[in-house]
Order: sequence, then C-alpha cells, then structure tokens
Amino acid sequence: MFQFNYLKAKSLADAAALAKANPDAKLMSGGMTLLPTLKQGLAQPSHLIDIGGLSELSGIEVKGNTLVIGAATRHYDVASSAVVRKAIPALAYLANQIGDPQVRNRGTLGGSVANNDPAADYPSAVLALNATIVTNQREIAADDFFQGMFATALEEGEIVVRIVFPLPKRAAYEKFPHPASGYAMAGVFIADTAAGVRVAVTGAGPGVFRWSDAEAALARGLKAGALDALHVDATDLNEDFHATREYRANLVQVMGKRALHKLLA
Amino acid sequence: MSEKHAANRREDLRLITGRGRYSSDNNLPGQLHASFLRCDCAHAEIVAIDTAPALKRPGVVAVFTGEDAIAAGYKNFPNLMTFTNKAGAGILQPERPVLAHGRVRFVGETVAMVVAESAAIAQDAVADIRVEYRDLPTVVDAEDALKPAAPLLHTSVPGNLTLEWDTGDAAAVAQAFKQAAHVTKLKVVSPRVVPSPMEPRAALISYEAASGCYDVYTNSQGIGMLRWQISALTGVPEDKLRLHLHDVGGSFGQRSAVYPEHGALMIASKKLGRPIKWVATRSECFLSDSHGRGIVMGGELALDRDGKFLAARYDFVVDMGAYLTTTGPASHVRNPAICTTGVYKIPALYANFRVALTNTAPIAAYRGAGRPDIAYVIERLVDQAACELKIDRAELRRRNFIPLDAFPYKTPTLGTYEASDFNGCLTKALKAADWDGFPQRREAARKRGKLRGIGLSTVIEGTAAGFQPKDQIAIEFDADGRLEVFTVALSQGQGHETTFAQIVADTLGIAAESVTLRQSVHGKNIVGNHTGGSRSLVGAGSVCKIAAQKLIEQARPLAAEALELEPSQVDYANGAYRSRDGAKSIDLLELAKQHAGASPHPLNLIAEASVAATFPNGCHIAEVEIDPETGVSEIAAYTACDDCGTVINHAIVEGQMHGGVAMGAGQVFGEQTVYDKSSGQLLSGSFSDYAMPRAGWVRDIHMNDHPLISKVNVLGAKGVGESGCTASLSTLVTAALDAVRPLGIEHLDMPLTASRMWQMIQQAQQPQQAKAK
Repeated sequence: MFQFNYLKAKSLADAAALAKANPDAKLMSGGMTLLPTLKQGLAQPSHLIDIGGLSELSGIEVKGNTLVIGAATRHYDVASSAVVRKAIPALAYLANQIGDPQVRNRGTLGGSVANNDPAADYPSAVLALNATIVTNQREIAADDFFQGMFATALEEGEIVVRIVFPLPKRAAYEKFPHPASGYAMAGVFIADTAAGVRVAVTGAGPGVFRWSDAEAALARGLKAGALDALHVDATDLNEDFHATREYRANLVQVMGKRALHKLLA
Repeated sequence: MSEKHAANRREDLRLITGRGRYSSDNNLPGQLHASFLRCDCAHAEIVAIDTAPALKRPGVVAVFTGEDAIAAGYKNFPNLMTFTNKAGAGILQPERPVLAHGRVRFVGETVAMVVAESAAIAQDAVADIRVEYRDLPTVVDAEDALKPAAPLLHTSVPGNLTLEWDTGDAAAVAQAFKQAAHVTKLKVVSPRVVPSPMEPRAALISYEAASGCYDVYTNSQGIGMLRWQISALTGVPEDKLRLHLHDVGGSFGQRSAVYPEHGALMIASKKLGRPIKWVATRSECFLSDSHGRGIVMGGELALDRDGKFLAARYDFVVDMGAYLTTTGPASHVRNPAICTTGVYKIPALYANFRVALTNTAPIAAYRGAGRPDIAYVIERLVDQAACELKIDRAELRRRNFIPLDAFPYKTPTLGTYEASDFNGCLTKALKAADWDGFPQRREAARKRGKLRGIGLSTVIEGTAAGFQPKDQIAIEFDADGRLEVFTVALSQGQGHETTFAQIVADTLGIAAESVTLRQSVHGKNIVGNHTGGSRSLVGAGSVCKIAAQKLIEQARPLAAEALELEPSQVDYANGAYRSRDGAKSIDLLELAKQHAGASPHPLNLIAEASVAATFPNGCHIAEVEIDPETGVSEIAAYTACDDCGTVINHAIVEGQMHGGVAMGAGQVFGEQTVYDKSSGQLLSGSFSDYAMPRAGWVRDIHMNDHPLISKVNVLGAKGVGESGCTASLSTLVTAALDAVRPLGIEHLDMPLTASRMWQMIQQAQQPQQAKAK
C-alpha cells in the first residue's frame, strides 16, 4: 500500500483550502469509486480530503420550483426521501437502482456527478432534468457540466456543493443493468420540463449525452409510440465482450420506449 | 426423516456469527508475509529479473524466483490420471516450477515472491521487481492449440496434446451409424468458468528445523489428499507435513489441488526460519485459482426407424490451461467416460478425448467435473433428435431408457449403474411441472411479449468414487468422556457437522448434541477420501454408521461388567444397555464417562469400509422466458425429481440442489470467462465483468424425490452434491432453445447472455422481416 494522508475537512472552506494546499490531493465523498481505485493502485493521491460529513453539503429540500439536494447526500437517502419521492419520483427510483445496498449507503450524489462515470445513473437525471450544479465557486448548467468520459467542467479543487433540480411536470428513468457490475449498460431518463422534453442517455456511450432525435420526436408529440420509429445510430457507442454497439443501440431504444411508457402511465 | 432434523445446521450459528476459523484467521508469532509477482503476459521467455529494487524497500526480507524453485526441485506436480493412450503411454505432465523459470505460460503465473514484515510492504515491493520478457505467440483456445501450426507451450508436450484416450467400440459404432435410419450431430461447448468460492485462497506455512516438519495452515477439501500432493510436489515425506485445516468457505473442487504457492511458501519458511503467510486477493483468485469446465464436445447419435438409439459417438477436446492440475485430466476424462450412455440403452458407444494445453489458467475439477458436461451433450443430442424426427421429447426418452429389469447395468464404456427408475422420475416430474399445461403458459407469455420455452433433462452421474481404497472413521472419547467422531472428509459448506453427527447419534439412539465431529485433524491415523465427487455422505457417512454399530458391540462387555451381567444378558436401545428384565441399566455415555482418563479410552475405535460408486439420477424440467427486445432470459419455473437414494437430511439435500441448480444457471446465463485471443489477457478478471448467478435467478425450485435405495452402502444414499449442476445445464439451455425454436433458431451455446440471445433473435428475424417486406 502506498502512503497517503487522510484529512477530514472541517468545513467547505477548509476543504477548499486543503485542496489548494495539496495539489496532488483527492476529494473524497462516499469513496465508492475512489477507494477501489486506490486499492488497485490506479490512483495515488498524496492526500484524501474527506468531505463526506460536511453539513454544508447535506440536506434535501424543495425551494420554490426546485428540488435542492446536498452533494454529500447518500443514494439511500435520496431513494427513501419522502420529499424526493413527492417532488421527482423518477429521481428516487433512479437512486434506488444504483449499485447495491452497501454502495447506496455510502455513495453520494455529488461524488457520482463529479466522477462522471460513463455508466453512472445520476448524470442522466442531472442532464435530462436540466439541473444546475452549484459548486463552492459558481453555478454550472448540466449541459455545460458533463464533458465526456470521467470529464467535467470542474476546475482543480472545485467542490460540488449541491444540485438544484427544476421540478419537471413528469419524468421517468429506465435502465438496463450490466449483468455483472450493475452499472447502466443503457439508461434513459426522460423529463417533461418547462423548457421542453429532455432525454439523456447514460451507459451506452463514452459519456452521458442528450438523445436529440428522441427529444425532437417527443416535442412533436409526447405520446405512446413516439419513439418507436427512431433508429439509434450505433457508431459512437461503446463495445466490449459483454455487448456490441448494435446491442447497446437497441437497449437505448428499448429503455427509451419503456421510460416513455412509464412517464405516460 | 424425522422433524427433529429439519432445523438449522449445527454449524450455521457459528459460521454466520463470525466464529468460523478460516485460513486467513491463522497467525503465528514472528510470521512474515508473502506477495506474489504474477506475469502480465500470456506467453513469454523470461529474459531477466531484477529483484534489487524490491530488496531495497524497508521491511522486505527476501525475494524468491524460479531459481529457488529449481534449486528446491519443486516442479513436478502430481496427477491422478492413470489412463494411457493407444500406444500405452501415460499423460505427458509438463514441469511447473512453483515460481516460473525461463518461461511464463499464462497471465497470472507466479514469477517471484516477496517476503516482508507486512503484507502491504510485500505487495508494494512486488511492484518494484523488474522483469524483462520476450513475448511468444499465444493460443487460448483448446481446438486452436491442437492445430499443427499452433504455438507450442512445452517442448515436452508435442502438439500441446498431453493425452489422447478413447473408450468403447469404434468399429461397432461405425457399423451402427451405417445402418442408422437417422443420425443427429451437434457440437456444443461447456465454457470455462471461474469457480469463485467466497473464501480466497490462503496459506500459512512454518518450517521447524529441529524436526524437519512443516506446519501448513490452508484451505483444502481434506487432509490426506492435500498432504499426499504436497509431498509429491516437494519430496517432503508425508509424516513431516502437519496440516492444520479448519473451516473452508467454499471450494467446488477448486481447493482440492496443491498450488504452486504452497511450495513457494515452504521454500521461504525453510530458508528464513519464520512462518510465512499469504492471502490471495480476489484479482489473484481470478487469474490463478484453477478454473472449471472448458470442454468442446462433438456428439453424434444414430437412431433406427422407430427412434431407438443404436449408437453414439463423442469427440471431446478438453482444455487444461497451461499446466496440468492434480484433478483436471482425471475428472474431465474419467467422469464423462463413466456415463457416455446417459440414462439410455445405447448398444454401441465410442468416445475420444484429447487433453490440450493453452495459454490460460490451469483447469481442475469444478462441481460435477465432467459429469454435467457429458450429461449436457447427451441431452442436447436427444432433444435435437426428437426435434428432427418430430417425436415428443419425453416419448423419445421413454423408448430408450434403460429398463428397470436391466440393472445392475454395465455400460459399453466404464460404468456399471445401480438400479434406477428413470421412467418413474420422468413421469413424476412431468406431472409436477404440469408439462401438459405448458402450451397455455407459452400463449400467456406470448401475449406479454415474451418467448417462453420448456426444457427437460433426464440425467445420471457416477458419484462417490474415491481415490482411496477405503474410508475410515475414528470414534474417540476425550478426557471428560465425551464422544468425538474423526473424519478425513472436510466440509467446505456441505454441513458434515450436522449430518455425520446425526448419523452417529441416530444409530446410537442418543442426542445429536452429544456427538462432536472433528474433520481432517492432523495426527489422527485414519485414511479416507477428501470431500469431493459427492463422496462424503456415501463414504464417510456410511462408515459413521458402521462405527456407531461397532461402538455398541465394543462397549457391551464393559456395560455388562458395570451391570454385573454377562454380555449376552444386556440389550442396547436408545442410548443405554439394559438387563433383560429392565431392572438394571446404564447409559452408553455414562459408561464412557466412567472410563474417562484411561489411555487409550477402552471404547475408542476405528471403523472402515470400501464404498462403491453411486448413481444419483433425476429428471429436471425448466421453463425459461426470453424478452425478445433485450434478449434477457428468466427462469420462470423449475421442477426437479431426483433419486438420491435415502435422504438423511432433507434441508441439506435441498440446499445442495439449490446450490447446484444456481451454479448451473450461472454457467448457462451469466458466467463468461474471456481471454483475449491475441494477447491472452483475461478480460473478465473481476466481479465487475464476471457475472455470478444472483439469488433472484433461481427463485423457486419445486423439488420432488423418487428414491431407489442404494445397495452399495449401509445408508442407502447416493451422492447428491453435484446433481443440481449435472441436470440444470441441459435443462435450462433446452428450455431457452425451445423458446426460440419457433423463430428458426436451432442451436444455442452457453452462456446465453442477453446480448448473445438478442443477436440470435435479430438474425433469425431478419429473413422473416425481409420476406414480409
């Protein structure tokens, strides 16, 4: 085991200062991705700055027309929150599909979004719901935040504080879990928002993306069968021994159809 | 079975409350820790190894390499395979230094071992070692490995073929095929799996210079088998090997063999004079624990005009990985050869086996070990023949079952079956599964957009054939006069503590709690088989009963003396000796207490028996629903009717069946061991990529039994530990095939992953769609 220092941040400001003072440090929230990475020696930070317990990153509340969730909120808390279940039930449903009970009781919303794993569930909700990522420095629109595989708009040392989800008229998520890891092999989140229907896809491509053909089709009419005629182009999708890109393209369409069915139900 | 035995197993509370003693729970004062450098290339010459940077790291005590393995002479692994080829030559056993020397042959092979003050230091120091490799061409597929131009793994094994062995009458089979009205042919694969028991491999080994003895703490399937293997590998006499075996967290065959790490730790402990401990990471387990299955099977079945089987011919290519394990060749050749006739009367049989080497992890026994594979190819053949001849699947089987009056049935290859009622099992299973009502369920599924199929298998397997000539059990009374039963067999989850204690207690008529089972204890001078091959209940369990009966007779004179009677004047019943008039009595356990402290205790005894193979069999029926949109298969129903002879403990038999069926489901629907063809890298080397069966896959198994009591052992039992695997592979695959046959799909190969099923369905539908347009 290589050596690293563990630092428990006392406040958001403290975390930011520690990150600034230690350029090779890593911020840790639930650690559900970071810790396995450390164990495999794939990351060797000088310090771990634990921000998981910061009160500034906690809390779930409806504020006006938005649902605000602190970045350190665990998946289990999102899934079981009466507030989330009432405001955006699809988001609570999504949180309950992540990993397994152990992961859901450790992993956090902010951690997942900041890591931007191409097969993570949350980015699809954040993008489809047109959420705003609030950091200790600024506010970033979801459309600007996700920048491909494990890449985000976050600067070094910038910390996700909370995520503000505009309340949709309705929303739905359907996911095809990877048979081994449980990550999304394809996950489709459809949100009927004030700004129109937004559809985000996770798992199938190198990063979460908006499915513009589906959005256009649903803009013409948010009704059953609206996605049936779409052809999903497989060219840029992922391929490995588990699934061809054609299969993933098919899953995008099937999960899209099922999410729409659920949204209309 | 009486209700008193229906409760939880005796070991459950201890094991599920964290009080088990597993291999990594062992520690010794002054111990050092080992970590292994494993090669990251599949086939290469080792040009140079620089261990100096590792030795510089504080806390590192020593680094060992292939030079040390060669110096110790630890390179010749034992092998249970005794068959010879047509020229009379035995299997070609390539050398395998316990740390690679000169060449590496699969990703994960041990190249060097660091010994350090802590496991963490050892692991870090492994990364400091620099190895220069010269890459060689790689072959990861067994059929490819047997082709003329294939890369050669070992110069001592020409053509990568360690053994070609055949059985049966080739000429008679050829003649029968000529006369056949119909011939069904197919080629199926039983793909390689990574067994993955919950407990990782681990060992703690300590050398004692004064006596020349090694204390070995490790996970195993039984003391005698492992001690023999370590001795064979290292040349250390068995009486210098003190094995300390405790709880084992699953094995499935994988813990039966000696591993290179055992030898390497012995070298280090002797050299350094300190105990050395090693616990594998899960990643190491994926790369270097023995894998299972990996057999390509060609099959041909000849039938006459009435659908009677005339002959069958098999062509097996058995993948053994880069080196031969102790159990791999024997289990993957002998076990299938015993049951080439399945449950059918097939007058002429022939099977050829080619045992090949590839640049992959070595393969050893894995639950069933060749039995599920032969059953799979036979059942696929019978199903295919039924389909081609448009004969009902159950009816074709009925026409060909070995009839009840034909037992004991000597098969044309190796086996002699004891009595079984195949038609009885089939009839019961068909009824229990509501076979006749299936069309309605298929139609209901169709309305839900699902493809539903039903599959049926009638299988048999040869179990309980041990490698030791007999099994012994010792009964001893400790200093307080308490009854202890000693076995060579060692539970890896089978529940011996419950079952064996129950057999002894029931035979003696005492409470099961009065009996303590001690398994694989060092220093007990008894012989017997390790736990494997569905052996332990039939072998050790039977001798438990014999030992208890012997105890009753051995104690009788002492009881008579205590009661001041002649031995002929006392009767034994319900745990006590009584005078004929019932006036005087003494409990067996009380009698034992009265003699406590005597050395040896006068009631101590060893009992033994030679127990022949048993042939559990059964009929399994499954219904599988496939979602054509995603290709996902779901087991919608599962019914089993099994003959495992006398059931000693229903809860344990049910547990064995559930586990076996779930493991079969894993191989059928999920588990996928993928080596990259060109680089030989293991692409499915973690649980993120390797799909183990999940609890929800097999939700309900409707179990029935149809026992014919075994006549080869005093319990009347037939070894059941592997039956679930043997029956489930073909049952589940043929159910899935039945679901998609209407689309024109005629062949499926495991694993039936969603992606693969979807692709098959797409391809089948394309011509139909084209036609529709």
